[in-house]
Amino acid sequence: MPNPAQRIAEVITFPARTAGSAVQSAANGTVRQVLAWTANEVDDWGRDPGFVNRVWSASRLRWTTSVGGLDQLPKRSGALIVVNARRFALAPVMAALSIGHASGRAVRFIGRPDVAPLGPVMQRLGGLLPIEAEIEGVLRAGEIVVLGANHETDNTVTGLVDHRLVGAAVAAKATVLPAAVISVAMRRDARVEIGKPIRLTRPRRGPLAELEIADIAQARIDALLDELGGTLTGPFDWLPIDWLPVDRLRGISKVVGI
Amino acid sequence: MVGVRVLVSGMGSELGARVAGLLENEPWVGSLEGIDADPPRRRLHRAVFHRIVPGQHDRTVDVVTAFNPHVLLHLAVWEPHGRAGPATAARLTDDAATSILGAAAECRALESVVVRSGIEIYGRSRGSVTRPNEHVAPNPTTEWGRGLAEIERTANAIGERIGVAVGSLRLASVLGPHVPNPLGRILRMPAVPFSALADPPFAVVHQHDAAEAIVAAARARLNEPLNIVAPGAITMLQSIRRGRRIPIPMLGPEWALARGITHLIGAPLPEHLQEMLHRGRLADNARAREVLGFAPTTTTGDVIDQLYRWPSVVHHPARTPMRAVA
Repeated sequence: MPNPAQRIAEVITFPARTAGSAVQSAANGTVRQVLAWTANEVDDWGRDPGFVNRVWSASRLRWTTSVGGLDQLPKRSGALIVVNARRFALAPVMAALSIGHASGRAVRFIGRPDVAPLGPVMQRLGGLLPIEAEIEGVLRAGEIVVLGANHETDNTVTGLVDHRLVGAAVAAKATVLPAAVISVAMRRDARVEIGKPIRLTRPRRGPLAELEIADIAQARIDALLDELGGTLTGPFDWLPIDWLPVDRLRGISKVVGI
Repeated sequence: MVGVRVLVSGMGSELGARVAGLLENEPWVGSLEGIDADPPRRRLHRAVFHRIVPGQHDRTVDVVTAFNPHVLLHLAVWEPHGRAGPATAARLTDDAATSILGAAAECRALESVVVRSGIEIYGRSRGSVTRPNEHVAPNPTTEWGRGLAEIERTANAIGERIGVAVGSLRLASVLGPHVPNPLGRILRMPAVPFSALADPPFAVVHQHDAAEAIVAAARARLNEPLNIVAPGAITMLQSIRRGRRIPIPMLGPEWALARGITHLIGAPLPEHLQEMLHRGRLADNARAREVLGFAPTTTTGDVIDQLYRWPSVVHHPARTPMRAVA
C-alpha cells in the first residue's frame, strides 16, 4: 500500500512550487528573447534589419501608416526623400520605417546623435549622422535616405530644408523626392505621400543646384500637405503628445469629438 | 611588363609571407626579395630573404640599392600589441619606414611604392563620418593611427620628391590563422568584454583578401589611397554570440580593470582597439573595386566565424619510429 503522504504530495501542488516554475519559465523566455535579439546582423552602416522589424511591429500598436507614391522611387539607385517634420513626431524615423516596410528596401534617416546610448540605438534603426560625406557615401551605394526639414509646430507648413545635406545628393547624382508625413495626435492613422522627383528646369553647375532643389522640395511638400492636410489635421495638432496611445482612451476621443 | 623586380619589406610577417607567396606566382614578377627582422614562416621558392633588424640603416641601404627594385611593397608595420608592445612597435615601424623608404628613394629603377596603412588613420572623434571613404581627410585619434598617417606622409613626400607613384592600402583589422592581431586574441578569450551602451559595428578583412589587394595594387602601380575592408559589419556582442563566448557588458570605469586583466592573461587591449569597441570602425570599400577591380570575398561575419574555427593547438600524430634496416 502506498504511503498516504506520498500520494498527497503527488496530487497537491504547493503555490511556491507553481511560482518557482513560473519564474523559471519567465527567465528561460527572457534569455531566449535576449539571445534572439542579439543574434541579428548589421549591414555596412550598422543598420540592424531584425531590430528595425521589431520597432516597426511595435510602432503599429500606435499608428496605422499608409504609404503612397512608392512608384516614384528609383528601382536600384540611391534617393534622398525630404519630409516635413513636426516637433516630437519623429517624422523622419516614421517615414523611414514605413517606406522601408512598404518598399522592401533598407531605408535610412538622417539625424542620429553621436552619443551613446541613443546614437548607437538609432544607428541600428538606420540613423545617419548629419554630415554631407556620410550621406553622399550612402547615396552612392544606392541606398534610400530620408531627410527631415526643420521642425515646425504643426503639419500645415514645412520648415527649411538644409541645402548642405541636399548637396550630398547632388554630388552623388541621386534623385531627390519630396514627401509629406501626416500624423495626428488623437488618431491612429498616419500617411506618407511621396511626390514626383525634383528636376531643375535649368541645370546648375555650382552650389545653386542644392539651394534651388531645397527650395523646390519645401514648396512641393507644402503642396502635398495642402492636398492631404485638411482631412487628417486635428484640433490638437500642436500638442507634443504624438507618442501617447490616446486613441485607446475612447472616452477622451468622444469628448473631443474626433 | 615582365621581369619586374619587387622588394617586400616586412616579408617575415604572416601578411608579408603570404604576399610573397602570391607574388611568386605572378608572371610579371621577375625577381623577388624581402627584408624583415624575422624570417618568413612559410616555404618560398623564388624569393630571396634578407634578415635585417630595422635599425640597421647601412645594411638596409646596401641591400635595397643593390637589388634596385621597380616596385616596393612596404609592409614593415608593427601594430601595437600585435608582434610587439606599443613602444617597441612604434620604434620598429619608424625605423623601418625611415631606412627602407629612404633607401628605395636612392634606387633609379623605382617606379612604384605601395604602403600598408590602416583605416585607423581616419580616427573616430565625435562627429566623424561613420563609414569614411578615401576622400575623407585623415584625423587619427590613436597612436597607431598617427603612426600610419606618418608612414603615408613620409611615402608621399618621397614619391613627390623623386617622382614615383605612391599608393597606400588602408586595411581594416587583418584577421586570419596565425595572424598576431590583438582583436583576434580578445575575441578568442573565453569571456569577452564589450561596451553595453554602444556596442558599435566594425569591419575586418581576411588576411588572404588583404594579401591579394596588396598584389593587385603592385600590379596596377597604385597611385592613391584605398580602403580594403571586407563587406558587411558586425558588433562585438554579435561576434561574442557567434563564438559562443561569455559576454561581459562594460559601462565605463571598469574598462581600466578589464584592460589590466586582459593584459595579464595574454590578450592586451591596445588604445586603438579600445576606441573601436567604443566608437566602431567602418570604412567605404567601393573605390577599391573601381581602381583595382578587386573586392574582398570573405565577409566580416565569415572572417569572425573562421576566427573561432581555427584551432588553438594543432595536434600532429607522433612520428612512427624508423625500422632498423638490416
